[in-house]
Amino acid sequence: MSPQSFAQLPTAGAPAGGPTAALVLEGVSRWYGNVVAVNDITFALGAGVTGLLGPNGAGKTTILHMLAGLLRPSAGRVSVAGQPAWRNPAVYRAVGLVPEREAVQAFLTGRAFVELAARLQSLADPAAAADRAIATVDLEAAADRPVGTYSKGMRQRVKIAAALVHEPSILLLDEPFNGMDPRQRLHMIALLRTMADAGRAILFSSHILEEVERLADGVLVIHAGRLAAAGDFREIRRLMTDRPHTFVVRSSDDRRLAAAFMIEPAVFGTELRDNRLTVRVAEFGGFTRSVARVARDAGVSLFEVAPTDDSLESVFAYLVSRR
Amino acid sequence: MIFATIVGVTLRALLGRRRTILMLLLAGVPVLLGLLVRANGSGVRDVGATLDGLVVRVVLPLVALVFGTAALGSELEDGTAVHLLTKPIRRSTIVLAKIGVAGTLTAALLVPSTVIAGLLLARPGSGPLSVTFAMAIGVLVGSYVYVAIFVALSVATSRGLIIGLGYALIWEGVLAGLLPGSQVFSVREYVRGIAAILSPAATDSIVGAGALLYAAVALVAATAIASVRLAVYEVRGSD
Repeated sequence: MSPQSFAQLPTAGAPAGGPTAALVLEGVSRWYGNVVAVNDITFALGAGVTGLLGPNGAGKTTILHMLAGLLRPSAGRVSVAGQPAWRNPAVYRAVGLVPEREAVQAFLTGRAFVELAARLQSLADPAAAADRAIATVDLEAAADRPVGTYSKGMRQRVKIAAALVHEPSILLLDEPFNGMDPRQRLHMIALLRTMADAGRAILFSSHILEEVERLADGVLVIHAGRLAAAGDFREIRRLMTDRPHTFVVRSSDDRRLAAAFMIEPAVFGTELRDNRLTVRVAEFGGFTRSVARVARDAGVSLFEVAPTDDSLESVFAYLVSRR
Repeated sequence: MIFATIVGVTLRALLGRRRTILMLLLAGVPVLLGLLVRANGSGVRDVGATLDGLVVRVVLPLVALVFGTAALGSELEDGTAVHLLTKPIRRSTIVLAKIGVAGTLTAALLVPSTVIAGLLLARPGSGPLSVTFAMAIGVLVGSYVYVAIFVALSVATSRGLIIGLGYALIWEGVLAGLLPGSQVFSVREYVRGIAAILSPAATDSIVGAGALLYAAVALVAATAIASVRLAVYEVRGSD
């Protein structure tokens, strides 16, 4: 995994990367009336693969559309290959976008669609470029059938072929693995890796941890429009597990157990309310290893120990609160 | 090259089977009327007024509306325009190609329709066909002006079809001509004016000789507005 893509690791308030950074957001926000879709985001990306990770509705598509010059930032600056993305059609020589929406005319064949993209890019030999792109995404067999007959995964691949046909140095993909079976996904991961190693800057969005883990050099975690975390995936994993946790415990004697817990260094709070014992711990591992022993030493039987904030939502919210 | 490519794709998209048949039927209505009149043997006294009332007032704006809003607006609605927008092409080039195709299709249907209907409607032996041809030229120009306006509407607002329909039926159909001075803002009046320039017997016209200028201004303005609005068009994702 190349650490290159995070030449400028974003921290709150830090200026964005230098002129060579391919994709730059500086203090970018986007709102629709009272609704803030993206809130003061700053990052700079270069060659390599970066994953934009976050739940649906977090603002990933908004960010990608601003980078693709399809949406104007309400505040801040968006730069692609050193130029503004908005109102600048020339930037599309260097950028390929794979949108999430279906968005392909059903009556065109796959080949015709990719060749059309090649012609609109003013390529010297559109047919040859289209052939290469189609071979790259492994769609030769179906290339001469209308796109309307394709499965969802095939439509994804034809959109990717059209986005690659002019060999852009920057590739933006919105949920690219949607609808792909495991084999296609592996193929696509290998393809994107190859392109990134050749020096391209690739940014893809996903709400699935495993996809990002497998492919990305670096991760940008987005939650409710904010940048929750940025960095190497292992760092982010660690942040996510080494955070404070809350557990609900049912036992034969909650009050006695609560008193016993408060002696443990990992525990920083207990609450007994409505016949529920809630325990807040600073560190996951220590607590889980000790909970059974503590209960036994206190002479209390444990019936249930359940985490209450294990959803991705609460993880992200925690990460945001840290910044 | 790029222009030709966009023209080709737009042509294919506009000439879907259902739309083509529908437009052929619409354009056929004046011809049908002409056939009925001819079958009756009499012919109409004022061919110009009949063509004006039928083709210029009704059929022309409707056909132009269908082609004009489908050329670009519907692609923006269903998301297929993203592939066109994320290419290094000037927005004005896209707009010109779209207006060119939609306008030409409209004219290709309605100019022959006007000519044939005019020939059929005229009293047998009534002399020169200048009125019919003058109206046909007016319809030719009117096709492009209407289409340009509807393309601009469909880029500027997602309600382009409804607003365009309102404009065609309410403004052009009823109001313009009633309010003094409103003729300057009516494409139908431009068409009548151009026909009147070529053949004074064709129709009364209030705008008169200025019609050509007004039509040119409207065409350029609509094209410019469409280009500018396309340049700042925003694609809002569902996120």
